[in-house]
Amino acid sequence: MGLADSSQDLSTEMEVDAFRRIFPLRFFERHLSESLRPDGRQLGKARDTIVNLGLVSTADGSALAKIGSTTMLAAIRMEVMTPSTDSPDEGCIALEFHMPPICSPTVRPGRPADAAPVISKRLSDTILSSGMIDLKELCLVSGKAAWMGYLDIYCLDADGALFDAALLSAVAAFSNLQIPVVALNDNGRIVAITGGKDQDNASITEKEAVNKEKRKLTLKNIPFSLTCILHKNYILADPTTEEESIMDTLVTVVLDSSDQMVSFYKSGGTALAYSSAIKSCIELARKRAKELKQILGEMDID
Amino acid sequence: MEYVNPEGLRLDGRRFNEMRQIVAEVGVVSKADGSAVFEMGNTKVIAAVYGPREIQNKSQQKKNDHAVVLCEYSMAQFSTGDRRRQKFDRRSTELSLVIRQTMEACILTELMPHSQIDIFLQVLQGDGGTRSACINAATLALADAGIPMRDLAVSCSAGYLNSTPLLDLNYVEDSAGGADVTVGILPKLDKVSLLQMDAKLPMETFETVFALASEGCKAIAERIREVLQENTKQLEYRRAA
Repeated sequence: MGLADSSQDLSTEMEVDAFRRIFPLRFFERHLSESLRPDGRQLGKARDTIVNLGLVSTADGSALAKIGSTTMLAAIRMEVMTPSTDSPDEGCIALEFHMPPICSPTVRPGRPADAAPVISKRLSDTILSSGMIDLKELCLVSGKAAWMGYLDIYCLDADGALFDAALLSAVAAFSNLQIPVVALNDNGRIVAITGGKDQDNASITEKEAVNKEKRKLTLKNIPFSLTCILHKNYILADPTTEEESIMDTLVTVVLDSSDQMVSFYKSGGTALAYSSAIKSCIELARKRAKELKQILGEMDID
Repeated sequence: MEYVNPEGLRLDGRRFNEMRQIVAEVGVVSKADGSAVFEMGNTKVIAAVYGPREIQNKSQQKKNDHAVVLCEYSMAQFSTGDRRRQKFDRRSTELSLVIRQTMEACILTELMPHSQIDIFLQVLQGDGGTRSACINAATLALADAGIPMRDLAVSCSAGYLNSTPLLDLNYVEDSAGGADVTVGILPKLDKVSLLQMDAKLPMETFETVFALASEGCKAIAERIREVLQENTKQLEYRRAA
């Protein structure tokens, strides 16, 4: 009682910025009661999203995804390895999510951020279980050689909804991926063909090119995600870091391009959700998936 | 192998005293107090500065009369054409130390006692000269954060191959086995803050290569000044609006 009254009195005297810092929850609730957020967005609206491809020339496929200020750079490098005996026709994808200290004032050097390994695992699980990539396409010579794709995602700016931006950048990087051309030489080893010189062309007739030209992977069932915050009876889509720090119940829904649910994630939090709230989150995720499909479609990604 | 052909052109078509193309931008990381992206040809580096802020490691608090400067250099796993590297190898540790000492010489740390300034550098693409690109990016980021400095710290590298001094080596030229001289100077004060060389060079040749690198540094300083002035104009417009 006393606290509520004092903040009401102070709010008329205080500057907006000070009120935002000292009474963050009240600041947000004042906005939520008008169905708005401090940055002017509607409750169910996500921030502006941009995707750019092919930025890292040293990688076989790369993409930069920005949702609002949250920036993720994903890059894939392919290496040849021997497939395991129980799946001799399949390649492998190794995913790692990094949060270097540049991305946020809360990340200290020498100590990995708390969120990083969690997001890393969730991303790995989501991408593999969505069936977006057919591991058999990564096979070179059955039982002897297959591709191992190392996908590294670096967070360059952490402003909320890290999982969404990371998943988007991973998907875009896979669409940009061009598998290098290799040949099997006489020793039974795989060597890269850099292509173009006359000497190589002559020796190619001896070495059989294992894959004819640089090719892309076929992506089916692309996953799209949306993270929401549940607070009392409000649902806020695509939260910023400030919103995530004040209201702690996060829900992430991942749908694929055929509108099927790939994953649902709610790990505790003070707000317990009714099934109606869950359904609303899924509805918002469906709308967001359409938006994202359009954005990726504009960049010629199927 | 021929690094400079008889007409005086290098492998990528540059002349001996030509630098690679520079692209510099300030204010790229919204959460950082100051940030910058600096590209020299294919070498792309992103720098973020956090500070001055409270000292986070209590054991470093003994220096009370001036600010503590922390620097971390790391290369992204996909940044070079070679195999994936370990995250914190000896080279990264050495470079973190070298860059920290170069920037510490140029920041007015006495003005900010009991505080810490963090400089984080991430190499996104490495094609030779990452050390220089990092120092230039750190200078821009510190200026963007409004941290008082004596002068801009700029850096450039030069080498000596096929009996020719060459400015701004890329990765292929750097790994050729010739000399690699990295120079970091404070241009207005005309003082040398960083000087590193690996290889043997006769004294006169060294002086030529060093002079060439210093010329390169001055050109980079001009460019950095332009970027900062443009940035200030943009801030002015935004404030007026």
